[in-house]
Amino acid sequence: MIETHGLYLGDVERNAPKELVLLSIIAQSYFQPFSLQDNLLVILTALTSGSGVGFNRAMLFRAEGGRLKGEMWLGPTSSEEARSIWEILSTPGIGYIEIVEHNRALLSRAGGTLSERIKTLSFPLGENGLRIPSRAVERGEIVNVRGARGEPEVDRRFLDVIGVEDFLCVPLLAREEPLGEIILDNAFTKTAITESDIKLAAICGLIAGNYIYTAALHKKMLDMEKFAAMGEMAMYITHQLRNPLVTIGGFTDQLLRYEGEDRRKSRRNLEIIRAETRRLEDIVYKLGHFLKPEQKPPAAFNPGPILRGALDDPGFRAKSRGRRIRARLARAMPLVIGYPTHVGEALRNLLDNALDATPEGGTVFVQTSNADPRWFVVKIKDTGRGIADRDRDRLFLPFFTTKEGGVGLGLHFVKRIMESCGGAIEVRSREGKGTEFRLCFVKEDRGTDA
Amino acid sequence: MKKPKKILLVEDEENLRLLYQEELDKEGYEVTAAGDADEALAALREGRFDLVITDIRMPGKDGIELITHIMGQRRDIPIIINSAYQSHKDDFMTWAADAYVVKSSSLDELKSRVKELLGS
Repeated sequence: MIETHGLYLGDVERNAPKELVLLSIIAQSYFQPFSLQDNLLVILTALTSGSGVGFNRAMLFRAEGGRLKGEMWLGPTSSEEARSIWEILSTPGIGYIEIVEHNRALLSRAGGTLSERIKTLSFPLGENGLRIPSRAVERGEIVNVRGARGEPEVDRRFLDVIGVEDFLCVPLLAREEPLGEIILDNAFTKTAITESDIKLAAICGLIAGNYIYTAALHKKMLDMEKFAAMGEMAMYITHQLRNPLVTIGGFTDQLLRYEGEDRRKSRRNLEIIRAETRRLEDIVYKLGHFLKPEQKPPAAFNPGPILRGALDDPGFRAKSRGRRIRARLARAMPLVIGYPTHVGEALRNLLDNALDATPEGGTVFVQTSNADPRWFVVKIKDTGRGIADRDRDRLFLPFFTTKEGGVGLGLHFVKRIMESCGGAIEVRSREGKGTEFRLCFVKEDRGTDA
Repeated sequence: MKKPKKILLVEDEENLRLLYQEELDKEGYEVTAAGDADEALAALREGRFDLVITDIRMPGKDGIELITHIMGQRRDIPIIINSAYQSHKDDFMTWAADAYVVKSSSLDELKSRVKELLGS
């Protein structure tokens, strides 16, 4: 006979052995998109849930800056509350998610909760940390305290807050690094802490330590990724700025050395210096755009005037000399969603690229298409040499350029602009035939430019 | 009179190419300039050079690919990398180049490396 079972078992029956319930509660937390705080709460839940290990209350301390600091304390504040909570939690049909939700609400309830009471508590770690509660994490051992008042090693301040004589301290460690501590008691049922309770609490302590350690590693990894990306960007920026600076400096040196010797050459040097200075300005301008996040939401606008404006731009007209511009624009254009100023710039960028790619005598085609019910499409096509296969994947990456003296931010900028307003940019290219870029704008439902 | 040493200069930026060419000409070298790696390889097929100066980041094949090609054909030709990337300087030995110069508006370092490698 072959029997199959689902991988996600859900809640284990309440009369199942404690170990199985505990394992089930913790295993389920791995399938939930929980934060570190939530996962630690899951551990405290497992330790206090009647069907789990069943302690009455659980405190969590985290090690931070050489001190053990109070973070959360889960459990009822009085025996009445304890009874009502256990009643709720033992209702048939209440599952693990509901218990975690309930505990989350318990923790966030403003004022007077247990957590509020321990958030101001902190105990030193290190040489002075041999008193309880610090001792457990300091020495990496579980400490079971019975009759705390009679033990001078127990911190009196702590005793006043916890208010019970018997409690269990479980250290949270990872690779022998002290990360925190969980303190458990049975304030309301007054039941003794058994050998089996200690073993289960130890397992919970190991898992909680691992949660904290993994979360710290994950954060470190994200920081490193961010740092690496910044380093890479700094490297590209250095490269982009150095070339024009070297050119300006080099030709200035020549001018200073041979001043007046050759007027024509002096003039040429000055023209190069001026051109490179403008290029630097352009780089700085584009970097400014690149680094500045857009904060306003996109709005509906008519793309017609912007498109016509880009085609009538004197700079574009001058540059297009010797090439044909074939524009077939829809007479009625729909309203589209985006940032009008940026869209104008994106269009100028693509038109400029198309002219750069098109040899003299070639043609640049500009066409709009309103056929799709959702998208309004602007196509800009050149008859240049097309994009090499090796470059296609890198086309939209920042600082990628195939143009001499190019900054490599134009297409990246266009893509970012289009995507920030729900649109898209598509590219089709054949080597030797030319390239077509399509800007796809999301249409607004109402209105046309008649 | 001694024949001038021949340098192949590979630089994609037109103005920089002009600057280097003029400055090295003035030092008495015969400079052939190429705007990318393919042009450089074509020049190498046609003539003999005593030294190659190349940029790293160029459209098409980059400087490292160019060096790999040159090493495959002529192992004896000295190569200077002239790049805007300061951070690559530690890696250049693995690229089999003989010197690495970070681009600077003062061409003194480039000129002195050229002089060292050409023994002139």
